[in-house]
Amino acid sequence: MAQTEPIVGRYINLEFSGRSYRVYFEEAGRGIPLLCLHTAGADSRQYRHLLNDASVTNTYRVVAFDMPYHGRSNPPDGWWLQKYLLKSDEYMGFIRAVWAALDLTRPVVLGCSMGGAIVLKLAAEYQEELRGIVGLESSAYAPGRFNQYLHHPAIHGGELAASYTYGLCAPMSPEPSARENWWYYSQSGPGVYAGDVHYYSLDWDGRADIKRINTSLCRVSLLTGAYDYSCTPDMTREVAKSIPGSRMVIMDDMGHFPMIENYPVFREFLLAELEWMAL
Amino acid sequence: MTAFSDDWLKSFQERVNADAEMQVIGDWLTTALSLTCGDRRCIVRFERGKLVEVVSSPRIDVRCAFGFRASPDIWSKFLSPHPEPLYHDFFAMLMRVPGFVLEGDTLIAMQHARALHRAMNLMRSVGQ
Repeated sequence: MAQTEPIVGRYINLEFSGRSYRVYFEEAGRGIPLLCLHTAGADSRQYRHLLNDASVTNTYRVVAFDMPYHGRSNPPDGWWLQKYLLKSDEYMGFIRAVWAALDLTRPVVLGCSMGGAIVLKLAAEYQEELRGIVGLESSAYAPGRFNQYLHHPAIHGGELAASYTYGLCAPMSPEPSARENWWYYSQSGPGVYAGDVHYYSLDWDGRADIKRINTSLCRVSLLTGAYDYSCTPDMTREVAKSIPGSRMVIMDDMGHFPMIENYPVFREFLLAELEWMAL
Repeated sequence: MTAFSDDWLKSFQERVNADAEMQVIGDWLTTALSLTCGDRRCIVRFERGKLVEVVSSPRIDVRCAFGFRASPDIWSKFLSPHPEPLYHDFFAMLMRVPGFVLEGDTLIAMQHARALHRAMNLMRSVGQ
């Protein structure tokens, strides 16, 4: 029998840095705003399990949006005249613009990978306006992922990005779930994954900023998979050491994409943190 | 079965050629690559996704486009049925295990990333 999911998808038109953007977002639930940030070269579909989880949506209004160039969000007008190379300030600013446009009051911001990095910057800059952050696979400094083959005319970019990231899932994650993430990764536009990794591996360095995070103002939860080789557990431990009062869990048998590669296992870790955030 | 022995390579060949996924994604996989485990080196040659030839201890006149080289200890960790983190995927090892090396024409390797990744993961099903 056909079943309709509670997720609602909408578009919002907003201005950011003098340009117009048409942004796609999905939402479900009521309560504390929980703004979810997808990984590099992917989109908000990664959060479909979380958006469908009544244990979350009974307490939280979950919102997941596609960054410009990703998923169903268009690039800005004139995109063909500039290379897509994401930078920290632009990334943080755009999240802030969506957060303001959707009128989210004291949200929890949850991000994974590059999203898990930028939530640290958000917490440093806007801690008085945030309830908290949940960093999945969060690192303050993550060199080593960028290479020229990620956007190269002799290589199928979608297949390379998807294969390059497939092994970031833990071997024990259910194959259909890991393959689903592969599929999402195969669909980004030319150079989009590379442009995101430009931010993640070349531009991002939050090692000084995170020392300014006051966890009495903004709660910090850090969840990292043991099989994540992009943001290794040690990299997240370094973050946790720099943020007194933060909570950190290393998830056994989990990789870099917990919300999509193995949601049934991940949700047990997540629910504990969201419960704490809601107090 | 010792990894990269003649019996092991024969079993690997059978796994690749019977693999349902490789039949879907292998049409463009026509290349040769070397696999080096310590002092042992072999070259495996693919045609349209089929592993058609295995050359153990190749001489100078056996060509290949690229190859993977590592110590027996590193290969053993990769081939383990329950690999530890950082040894569970060849891209993970290329990033985090300095002793695991992609040599030769890396562009050709990455052009075949999808099928190559599948073939390498099939190695684990052969065991060691």
